[in-house]
Amino acid sequence: MPSIEDILKSIHDAVVAYDEEGVKKAAELYIDEGHDALRGITDGLAAGMATVGDLFKAQEYYVPEVLLCAEAMQAGLDILTPHLRAGDSKSRGRVVLGTIQGDIHDIGKNIVKLMLEISGFTVYDLGTNVPYQDFVDELVRTEAELVGISAMMTTTMMGMKKVIQLVREARPEVGILIGGAPVSREIVKMFKADGFALSASDVVDEVKRVLALRTA
Amino acid sequence: MSKQLLIDALKGKRTSRAPWLPYAGINSAFLINETAENYLKSPELMAKGVENSAKRYRADGIPLMFDLSVEANAIGCELRWWADNVPSVVSHPCSRMESPGQLGLKVPTRESGRWPVVLEAGRLSKPGLDALDCAMVGLCCGPLTLASHLAGVRIFTDVYKNKEFARDMLEFAGEVIAASAQFYAEMGCEVIGIVDPVASQVRSETFQEFVTPYVQKGLEVIKKAGACSVFLICGDCTKVLEDVCQIGTNAFAIDEQLNLSYVRDLARKYGLGFAGNLKLTLALSLGLISPREDAIVSLAAGGTHGFVLAPG
Repeated sequence: MPSIEDILKSIHDAVVAYDEEGVKKAAELYIDEGHDALRGITDGLAAGMATVGDLFKAQEYYVPEVLLCAEAMQAGLDILTPHLRAGDSKSRGRVVLGTIQGDIHDIGKNIVKLMLEISGFTVYDLGTNVPYQDFVDELVRTEAELVGISAMMTTTMMGMKKVIQLVREARPEVGILIGGAPVSREIVKMFKADGFALSASDVVDEVKRVLALRTA
Repeated sequence: MSKQLLIDALKGKRTSRAPWLPYAGINSAFLINETAENYLKSPELMAKGVENSAKRYRADGIPLMFDLSVEANAIGCELRWWADNVPSVVSHPCSRMESPGQLGLKVPTRESGRWPVVLEAGRLSKPGLDALDCAMVGLCCGPLTLASHLAGVRIFTDVYKNKEFARDMLEFAGEVIAASAQFYAEMGCEVIGIVDPVASQVRSETFQEFVTPYVQKGLEVIKKAGACSVFLICGDCTKVLEDVCQIGTNAFAIDEQLNLSYVRDLARKYGLGFAGNLKLTLALSLGLISPREDAIVSLAAGGTHGFVLAPG
C-alpha cells in the first residue's frame, strides 16, 4: 500500500501535470485509505498549485496551464471537501476580493480566491467592475480582516488609490493587498497598500504576512 | 512630422531620427474634454480628437482609435461603456462551446456594429492628418484576443482540451481581422496593426499553432493595399518574441516590461521595425520615472535603425 506521503505526492504531481483524472484517482485512493481530508487539500492540492505558481513565475507555465491545473485541483477538491471534519472548516481569516471598477478581468482574481479558500480563508468575492465604495461596504458587512483589489489595466489600477483611501478611513485596521498585471512593489509603496502577490504561490504567505502585520 | 519616416522605420530601414508614434487612443477624448463614450460614438469628435492629438504630440503617425472591442461588437458581443475608458466586451456568445458557424455569426460588413462610425471617422480624419504629414494607423483586434471576446476565458484551455473548437474560433477570427484590415485600408491607413494583448499569455508552441496562422489573411490584405503591417503585443512576451518576429509583419510593438536593447537586437536579426517602449505605468501615468529621462533612454537604446518611439 502506498504511504500517505506517496499519495500526497501523486495528488501534487497530478495537479502540476493538469491531469484531472490522475487527481481524482489519487484523491479517491487517499480517502479510501482513511486519511485526513484537510491534509489532502493543503499538502496535496494546495501544494500542487503552489508549485504551479512557481512555474508560472519562471515562465514555464502560462495562463492556459494555470487554468488547467486549477481545474484539476477543483476536481480533487470536489472529492476531498465532503470528507472534511466539522472543526476543519474553521476560517483562518476573512478576505473581501474584487476586480476594480472599470475592469472586467478576473482570471488572476479567481485563482487567488481558489488558493485562499483551499488554505482555509473565507472569501467574499465581489466579482468584477466593483465600484470603489462596494469594497468598503462589504468590509463593514463581513467584518473581514483583509481586502484584495485586482486590476488588469493601468487605467483601472489608478482607482486603487481611491479604494485604499476609502478603506483606511472606514476601517483602518484592515489589511490591503493589490494585484494584477500592472502592479509592482513600487506601486504598492506609492499607493500605500500593505502588499501584493506576484503569483498564486505567493498569495497565501502574503495574506498571512499582512494579517500578522495589521494585528501586531 | 513625417509619415514617410515612420513607414521607413517600420520597414526596418535607417532613418535620420526615430519617428514618434503616440498611441493617443482614448486620451484624445480627454484632451478635447469629451467622455470616452461620447467620443467613440461620434465620427466628428473622433476626427477632431485625432487631429488635435496629432498636432499636440507632433506625431509622425497616430492611431485612428485604440479600441479592441470594435470587431467583437460588430459580430454581436455586448459592450459596457465607460466615461473614461474604451468599452469592455461583456458577452461571449461562444462560451458554451458552440462555434461561430453553429451560431450563425457573420464576418462583419461596413454596416456592422460601430463600423459605420469608424469608417466615417477615418474619412473625416484623413485630410487633416495628411496636411500634418502624419500617418493614420488602423488597429485590428488580434486573433487570440478576439477569440477570447467570443468564447470567454475558456479559449485558454480549449487550445489544449478542445483543439477543433479552438481552431474554428481562430479561423473565424482570422476572417474578421481580414475584414477589419480591408476597412482600414479603404480609409487610407498607411499603417495597419494587429493587436493581440493576450497572445503573450501562451507558450511559444501555442502561439505558433493558434496565433501565427490566423493573422495571415489580414496580412495579405494589408500587403495588397500597400500598407505597412505591425503586430502589437502586451505584457512580458519574452518567450514568444521570436514567434512575433516570424509572424510576417513589417514590424512589431511591445510594452514597457521588455528590455529595449534585447528587443532591438532581435528586430535587427529579423530585419524588422520595432516600436516601444516608454513606460506607460511607471513614467507616463505615475511619474515614478521621469518621462523625459525614460524617453532619452528609449531613444538611446532604440537608435535610428528600424526604431519607432512609442509608449510601451
